[in-house]
Amino acid sequence: MKVKVNDVELDLAPGTSAIDAVFAAGYDVPYFCSQEYMSPIGACRMCLAVVGAPRKERDGSWTMDEATGQPKIFYFPNPMATCTTAIMEGMVIDTLSDVTKKAQGGMMEMHLINHPLDCPTCDKGGACELQDRAYEYGSGHSRFIFDKRHNEKHHALSELITLDRERCIHCKRCVRYFEEVPGDEVLDFIERGGHTFIGTVEEGLPSNFSGNITDICPVGALLDTTSRFRGRNWEYDHTRSTSLDDASGSAITIDARTGRIERIKAALNTQVNKNWIDDGTRFGHEYAASSDRIKTPMLRKNGKLEPVTWEEATLFISEKLKKLSDNQLGIALRSDATLEEGVAAKSLAEYLKTGQIDHYPRYASSVISANPASFNDLATAGAIFVMADATEEVPMVDLRIKDALKGVTPPTLMAHGVPIADLRLKERMPRKTNILSVAAPYRVDLMKYAAHSMVYPTGTEVEVLKQIIDASTDAGKALKESLSAAEKAVIVLGAFVLNSAEASKLADDLAKATGAKVMKLGAMANSFGLESQDVLPAKADYSYPNMLSGSAKALIVSGLNPAQNAEVAQALLKLELLVVHDLFENETTALAHVVLPAKSGYEKEGTVVNLEGRYLNVNPAPVDGGQAVDFTGFVKELGDALNERLEGRSVRSARRLLKKSLELDLSELPLEGTIASAKAGKVAGLKTNTSGNALLVPSMVRSEYLNRNAHLFASTGGNALRLHPADAASHNLSAHDVISVSVGGFKRRLSVQPSESVPEGMMLLPALPDQPVGLVQLDLNSIKKEQVALEVA
Amino acid sequence: MVELETLKPFFAERQDVLNEILGRYPDYGRRSAVMPLLWEVQREERQVNEARIHEIAEILGIQPTEVKGVMSFYSTYHEHAIGKYHLQICSTLACSLAGSDEMYDFISEETGLVNGETDRQGLFSIQKVECLGSCTTAPVLQVNDTYYERVGKSRCQTLLEAFRRGEMPEPWRERYGDNEGAEKAKPLQNTIKTGGNA
Amino acid sequence: MSDAVAEKPKAITSRHDPRFEVTLYKYIGVENSHTLEFYQSHGGYESAKKAITSMKPVDVVEEMKKSGIRGRGGAGFPTGLKWSFMPPVDGRQRYIVCNADESEPGSCKDRYVLEDDPHQLIEGMIIAGYAISATKGVLYIRGEYYLGYERLYKAIQDAKAAGLLGKNLFGTDFEYEIILHRGAGAYICGEESALMNSFEGFRANPRLKPPFPAQAGVYSLPTTVNNVTSLASAVHIIGKGADWFSGMGTDDSKGFHHVQVSGPAKRRGVYEVPMGISYREIIFDLAGGPTEEVKAFIPGGSSCPMFPFTDQYLDMPMEYASVAKAGSMLGTGGIMLIPQNKCMVDALYNVVRFYAHESCGKCTPCREGVSTWLPSMYKKMLAGLGEKGDLELLEDVSSNIRGRSFCPLADACIMPVQASIKHFRPEYEYIIEHGKSMYPRQSRWAD
Ligand SMILES: Cc1cc2nc3c(=O)[nH]c(=O)nc-3n(C[C@H](O)[C@H](O)[C@H](O)COP(=O)(O)O)c2cc1C
Ligand code: SF4
Ligand code: SF4
Ligand code: FES
Ligand code: FES
Repeated sequence: MKVKVNDVELDLAPGTSAIDAVFAAGYDVPYFCSQEYMSPIGACRMCLAVVGAPRKERDGSWTMDEATGQPKIFYFPNPMATCTTAIMEGMVIDTLSDVTKKAQGGMMEMHLINHPLDCPTCDKGGACELQDRAYEYGSGHSRFIFDKRHNEKHHALSELITLDRERCIHCKRCVRYFEEVPGDEVLDFIERGGHTFIGTVEEGLPSNFSGNITDICPVGALLDTTSRFRGRNWEYDHTRSTSLDDASGSAITIDARTGRIERIKAALNTQVNKNWIDDGTRFGHEYAASSDRIKTPMLRKNGKLEPVTWEEATLFISEKLKKLSDNQLGIALRSDATLEEGVAAKSLAEYLKTGQIDHYPRYASSVISANPASFNDLATAGAIFVMADATEEVPMVDLRIKDALKGVTPPTLMAHGVPIADLRLKERMPRKTNILSVAAPYRVDLMKYAAHSMVYPTGTEVEVLKQIIDASTDAGKALKESLSAAEKAVIVLGAFVLNSAEASKLADDLAKATGAKVMKLGAMANSFGLESQDVLPAKADYSYPNMLSGSAKALIVSGLNPAQNAEVAQALLKLELLVVHDLFENETTALAHVVLPAKSGYEKEGTVVNLEGRYLNVNPAPVDGGQAVDFTGFVKELGDALNERLEGRSVRSARRLLKKSLELDLSELPLEGTIASAKAGKVAGLKTNTSGNALLVPSMVRSEYLNRNAHLFASTGGNALRLHPADAASHNLSAHDVISVSVGGFKRRLSVQPSESVPEGMMLLPALPDQPVGLVQLDLNSIKKEQVALEVA
Repeated sequence: MVELETLKPFFAERQDVLNEILGRYPDYGRRSAVMPLLWEVQREERQVNEARIHEIAEILGIQPTEVKGVMSFYSTYHEHAIGKYHLQICSTLACSLAGSDEMYDFISEETGLVNGETDRQGLFSIQKVECLGSCTTAPVLQVNDTYYERVGKSRCQTLLEAFRRGEMPEPWRERYGDNEGAEKAKPLQNTIKTGGNA
Repeated sequence: MSDAVAEKPKAITSRHDPRFEVTLYKYIGVENSHTLEFYQSHGGYESAKKAITSMKPVDVVEEMKKSGIRGRGGAGFPTGLKWSFMPPVDGRQRYIVCNADESEPGSCKDRYVLEDDPHQLIEGMIIAGYAISATKGVLYIRGEYYLGYERLYKAIQDAKAAGLLGKNLFGTDFEYEIILHRGAGAYICGEESALMNSFEGFRANPRLKPPFPAQAGVYSLPTTVNNVTSLASAVHIIGKGADWFSGMGTDDSKGFHHVQVSGPAKRRGVYEVPMGISYREIIFDLAGGPTEEVKAFIPGGSSCPMFPFTDQYLDMPMEYASVAKAGSMLGTGGIMLIPQNKCMVDALYNVVRFYAHESCGKCTPCREGVSTWLPSMYKKMLAGLGEKGDLELLEDVSSNIRGRSFCPLADACIMPVQASIKHFRPEYEYIIEHGKSMYPRQSRWAD
C-alpha cells in the first residue's frame, strides 16, 4: 500500500498503522500509550497528525483534483491519532504542519499540568519518555497555575514494585500489560475522570511477570523497588547480556553503578523474550552484590581457610594433581556455565587424562531434541501439550504459549524495528485456551490458562504418555488427535519427563507419531550447550553423583555445593583434593582444600545455548568482583602453574576452538543469537529416585540464592514447603511456620505453605542445583519449628 | 476480649437472587452480572466493602481488582455506608437554574452535613449529583431511589421533617407537557410572534 | 380519469396543524398506562404482530429507511440505514441494544416512556430485533431511573407470561428476549461503546471504532444500538406506515421529535412536535413562554452550542440541517432557557463541571483538560481572580482539546464553552476585569 509521510513515499503492508508509517519514513511523532507487542488504544492523544486520503468514485476510479490532475486528498477534519489509524491506499500523513505541531504541543502541555515534575528525585530521570518528549515537543513553560493533583507517592504495590501515583500519566500500559501479556488482571484503574488512579486489591500483585511494568511505564510511576534511589540513569553502565537464570536465553540489560549491579531490565530479543522477563530473572540479582562474596583465593592452612594469591592457590592444586593417576580427578560445572567454560573444563580434563567430567544438574535423558521447536514455533502453534511446570522451569515458555493463545503471529519487523502499534492486537482478546493441554504431578500455573489439564500421580509419566500414544483414554485420544491435526504442534517436556529415560523416549515417539515439534526445558541456562559440547562423563560410572560417592579421588567443583548432603560431606572428607570455585562460602567450601572466587552470571563473558539451540552471548557488566574469574580464568591460572598453555585458557581461546567445531564465530553473534543444529550428547544414565514422600520442584526464583535476594525473599516468604492443608494439619504445621527439616540428607529451611493445589500425600519443595527435581524422602521426624506463625484465635 | 465477627458471604443465603441475576446473561457473558451483584449488595448494606468485592470476584471468576475498577467507576456504589436517607441533590444546570444550589445550602444547614458526608447516626447522607434526567421538573431531589420533583423550599422542609420521623412521603406529580398527558399540553393559541430580543 | 398529479399534502411542521396528533406520548401520564392490560387494550403489540407475521425483516428495514427517521439519541444517524449495516446472518448471536441511559443535561424524554409506557418500548425492540434478526435485546437503563426499572422489569415479566417475549412470537418461529440492565451513575455509559463495556462488566471507557457495533458490539457480536424514542417510533412507523411518519417534518428531517423545555418557562415539560416546527412555537406556544427575561437557549441538551434568544434563532425551523448551519445540533431535543440575569460564566462553569465529573479519564485532553484545567479556570474567574489573558488562555486550551479527544465527550464540553464565548464574550471580559460577575448570583429557589 502506497502512503506518503511528509515528503517520503513508502510502500507498506496493509494493516500497518499510520504511526509505524511515520517511523518507517524516518520521521517522529511522540507517543505514550502505544507500546510494542501491546494493543494500540489511542488514549494519550500525543501521536496526532494531519491525515488525509483519496476517495473513490462509485465506479472505482479516484476522485481527481482538477488543479493537479492527481487524486484529490480529503483530509480528516481533525488531526488523527496515528496509532489507531490504519493506512489506506494513497494516504497522506503530515507530521510537520502547524496544525500537527499545535495538536502535539497542546497535548504535551496537558500531560504535564498534573505531573509533579520531581525529576531530580525520580529513578526514571534521564530515561523517561515524558522528560524526553517534553524536551522535544513541549513549550518549555507551563500555563497551568493551579495546584496539581496530589496523590500517594510511595505506594508499595508489592515487595518488588513501588508506585508513585502523582507521576502516572494514565497511559494504561501497565493495566493492559497484565491483561494482554501474562493474562493476570491484577492491576486496574480505580475511579474515573481526573480522579483516576492505578491500584490493586490483590495483595502483592500475584503474577510471575509483574516487573515488566517497571520497564514499560513511560514515567517514574512504577519503579523496581530493588533499585529505588540507587542511582541516576546516566550513572548506570548498561550492559546487554543474556540471562543465566533459566534455559530461555532471555535478553537482559544489566545496570551497574560503581562496580555494583543495581538493576536488571528486560532487553529486546524479538525471537526469544520479546520485551519481557519474569520476576525471578528481574529481581533475583541482589545476591551478586552481596557483601560476603568470596573475593580472593583461599587455601586451607592448619585447618583454616586463608586468603592467598592465585599463584599460591594454583601451585598447591598443581602439586596435588601431579600425584593423581588417570581418571582419578573429577571436574564438575554447574549447568549455567558458559560454553567457553565447558571447553576449558574439557581441555583441562583431557590434559589431566580424566574421563570424570560432568555438568550438573542434568537429566537422565538428552535436552537436545531431534525436531526442536523454537519460541516462534511455540508462539504460533495450533496445539500445545505441556508436560512440565513450564512457568517455573522456563517462565518465558509460559509467556510465549500465551502468545499462541491469542493467535496473533509475531509481527513482521519494520525499518524501525518492532511495530509500535500492531493493529491486530486488541484489548481483551479472546484466548484460544482450547489449544493448550497441560499435565503435571500437581496443579501448575499454566493450567489456569489451559482448557485441558491433568494432574497425574507423581512418577506416572510413562503411564500418562502411554495413554496418549495408545489413545487408550478419551482425553489421551483427543490430545493425540489435536496434536496430529494441528498444522503446527509443539510438545513441551520438562524435568518430570526428562528425568526418566523411558518417559522421554515415549514423548519422542509421541512427537514422531503426531508430527509435533519438541521443546525440552533444560535444567539450567546452558544445559543444551554443555550437553552439545559433550561436557559429559566418559562413562556412566563417572557421572557427578558417582564422583561424590567415591569414583573420584580429587574433585574440582564450580558452582556446586554437594556437601549440603550430610552423607556426601562425609565422603568428601576422604578426598585428596577438593577445589571449590564459587561465589559464597558454604557447606562444601567448609571442607575444601582450596576455595576460588567465581564470577556471577552477570560478570562473565561467554556464550550459552538456549533451549531452542540458539547461541547467545553473555556479556560482562563492569562489576567489582575482586579476584574472581570464570572457569576459563581458573584454567589459565592453573595452566600457568602447570607450565602449560591449555586450550580454553581464555574466552578467546575457547572460541577459537569452538569456531572450528561449530563453524560459528561466537564473538560475532547477532543480538538475537543464532540457531545451529545440534546432536544429542551421550547422556549417561543418571539414577533417579522412584519413591519418596516429597517432590523437589523447579522454581523460577533461584532457591540457592533466595536468602541473599532480600526483596524476592520478602515477596515469596522464602523457600516454601507446599502441602495439602489436610497434610499440614496432620503434621501439625500451619501456614508461615518456618521449619528446618532433613530432606534426602539435605538440611532444608522452609516456610510452610498449605495449598489446595498440592495433591494429598505429597509435599513440594524447591529443587537446588545439587538436589534437582525429583522424588525424595522428607524425614517427618526431623521437622523442627524455628519460627511459629502467629496464631489467629 | 473483642470477638472478631466473621462476615457471612452475602449471597450464601441469597442463592435464588444470585441465580436469577446470573441467569439473565448468556454463559459467555457471566461477567455482565458484576453491576447487578454490586447493586444487590449496595441496596442491602448501603455500601460495598472489600469482603464483598472479593466475594463477587469469586462468583464471577475474575480478579477482585477488576471488580473494584468497575465499582469505583460509578457514582452510586459506595465504599463506606451511606445513610438511611441518601439525599441526592441534582446540581446540574436546569436544576441550578431552578434553585438547587440554594436547596443544597438549605439541606446542608439543616443536616449539618456537607457534600459526601453521612451523619453519625447513619440517618442522612448528602451528595450533589449530576443531571437526574428530570430537568423539566427541576429542582430535583433524589432520596434513595425516589425522585422528588419541583422541590421548593417548603416542600424540602416538609420532606426533611418526614424523614426525621422515619417516613418516606409519596412523591407528587406536577408536570406540564405531554408527559402529564397530551390533553393538557395543547399549544396556546396565537402567541406565535411574541417575545425574543431582536 | 384525470391526469393531474395528485398534489402531495404539505407536511406537518406545527402543532397548530390540526392534522397533528400526539402519538408516541399519547398515553404518557395516563393512569395505569404502564400495564400490559392498558397497552393491549389500546392497540398494543399490533405493530410487532404486523411486522413479524406479514413482513420480511428487510421490508421492516426498508420501511424505516423510507420513513426518514434519524436517531433520537443525539447523533441523528438515519435509523433504517443503521439497521441495514448489520452483517449477513451467519449463525452468530445478534443483539439490539436500547440506550436508555439518558443523562445529557436537559434531556428527559426517554424517562417517561420507560416509566409510563414500557410496553411501547418493548414492542419497538421486538420490531427492531426482528428487522435485524437479533433474538436478544439489551435494555440499558440508567441507574437512577428506579421507577422505570421496576416498571420495565414487571413489563418484561408480563410480556413473557403473555407470550409476547420468548419463543414462537405471534405463532411464528421468531423468538426474542430482553436483558434489562441497570447503570450506576455514569454519563459516559450513554456513549454506545462505553455502554457496551459497562454492560459486559468492564469499566465504561469508550471503545475504539472501528470495529463498529454492527461488526463487533456487545460481547463482540453484531449489534445495533438505538435510543429509546428511536425504537418506540418504530412501533408507529410500522403501524401507520412510513408515509404517515414522513408526512411530518421537512425534507431533511422527518417525523416527530420530543423536545424537553427546561429553565425559566411557564409550562416546562416534554412535548411531541413535528420536525420543522419553529423554536418560537415550542418555547412560546407549547411551553408558555419564559417567566423572566431570557438571553439564550440551548437547542438540544447541554452539549449543543447555545443560541442567543433572538428572532433569528427563535424562528429557525427545528431540523438537523438548519440547526447545524446555525452552528449547533438538534441533539436530544433538550431545550434549556438561560435567563438574562444568570451569569453566563457561572452557567458554563456548571456545564463544565458536569463534563469534568463525567469524564471517563481515558484520554488526556479530557482527563487533564476537561476534567482538571477547565473547571480550575472557571473557578478562578468566578472567585474574582481572573487576570488579563485568562480568556485567551481558555480559548486556546479549548482549541487544544476540541477535536483531539478519543470520544465526543470532551467536545461536548468544549462546544458550549466556545459558543458561550462567541455570543457572550462581554460577560467573560467583565468578570475578568471587575473581579465579579456582570450578574451576581441570586436565589433562584422558589418556594
Ligand atoms: C458522551 C455521549 C453520551 C451519550 N449519551 C446518550 C444517551 O444518554 N442516550 C442515547 O440514546 N444516546 C446517547 N449517546 C449517543 C449514542 O452513542 C448513540 O449514538 C445512540 O444511542 C444511538 O441511537 P440512535 O441512533 O437511536 O440515536 C451519547 C453519545 C455520547 C458521545
Ligand atoms: S503507572 Fe505508568 S504505565 Fe501505568 S498508567 Fe501510569 S504512567 Fe502508564
Ligand atoms: S473524551 Fe476521552 S476521557 Fe473523555 S469520556 Fe471520552 S474517552 Fe473518556
Ligand atoms: S494515542 Fe497514545 S500513542 Fe497514539
Ligand atoms: S439538571 Fe437536574 S434533572 Fe437535569
